[in-house]
Amino acid sequence: MSMFRAKKLDLGCFINIKTIRDHSKRKAFAQHEPERQALRYIIRNTTLPARTRAEAQLQLTRMHCYTRPTQIRGRCLLGGKGRGILRDFKMSRYNFRMQALEGNIPGVQKASW
Amino acid sequence: MSRPNMIRPIRHALLRQLAQQPRNALAGFLSTRSQSTTVADNVKPGPPQLVNELPDPREENETRLPRAVQALYLQPLRREAEYGVPSCDLQLRSFSIPNLEFFCDFAIRAAYYLGLPAFGPVPLPKITERWTVPRSHFIFKKSQENFERITRRRLIQIRDGHPETVQIWLAFLQKHAHYGIGMKANIWEYGKLEIGKQMDGELKSMQEVIEQKMEHLGRDKTLGTVEKVKELLASERFRHTR
Repeated sequence: MSMFRAKKLDLGCFINIKTIRDHSKRKAFAQHEPERQALRYIIRNTTLPARTRAEAQLQLTRMHCYTRPTQIRGRCLLGGKGRGILRDFKMSRYNFRMQALEGNIPGVQKASW
Repeated sequence: MSRPNMIRPIRHALLRQLAQQPRNALAGFLSTRSQSTTVADNVKPGPPQLVNELPDPREENETRLPRAVQALYLQPLRREAEYGVPSCDLQLRSFSIPNLEFFCDFAIRAAYYLGLPAFGPVPLPKITERWTVPRSHFIFKKSQENFERITRRRLIQIRDGHPETVQIWLAFLQKHAHYGIGMKANIWEYGKLEIGKQMDGELKSMQEVIEQKMEHLGRDKTLGTVEKVKELLASERFRHTR
């Protein structure tokens, strides 16, 4: 959604519409997290009146999908790939292998045991 | 090597013995040995300088290095701990052993000169992380490659250290931090009873400093949720529901 997208490019990694989208989702989630948590708290708080809680439920479902944490997906820094990402390095498995063999990742070496 | 070259060091050593007699050597033994050498070389034992002997550069300037510099070639010195109460645990982590060993040595020497009794370095268990990735495309899953990263750890413990001195030591290590080495310190301080009140008083001034550090650490609670709940409950949409 273009309303969440930054007007100026604010990414330093591999640029791709998918990476830009993922980045704007992350920012939207971070921005709306207190609101989301507050609504969740109201929904779960049994001391509040039922109508208030129902209203909170409605509001939570009406929030934009970009503000959901489940929308965020790890993407490769070097290729923008969305699958086979090693979380420790934020890289896809192939890019990780290339970088590790070149010795660009500190401490990582070929293992044999 | 030619013959004169070979015997020169030996002759040199013997000459030195003649020049300055060791106190604990047997007199008879020394005299017989010196006689035999002099006979072989056909030189009187009187003058220390031989005819075709070059002066040894090592002997000319026999000024020793300063003790602090000499100590660098030896094992690090340590202070004695009187009570053995631990005051700081410093953990050093690195992927490479030489760097780690070097910096441990440095830290222990620094502790000595600050008057802190340091113990260690204790090698802690290695942390081994392994990753297995296919070498090629999805369908060639049979051929994979293993990668690993081993983190080496060392522990240096300071006992009986004054908290301020320990802080100075840590700051010194941070200032001269070596590349590729992570440091983590646990510090224990002993205070009077009812320290809680004093800490509560200091909380406000410390808040800013702590917040800066804590920002980088993981938090399981979202900041500002409480304010948001109050704001929502007071808002127009929720007011008519109560």
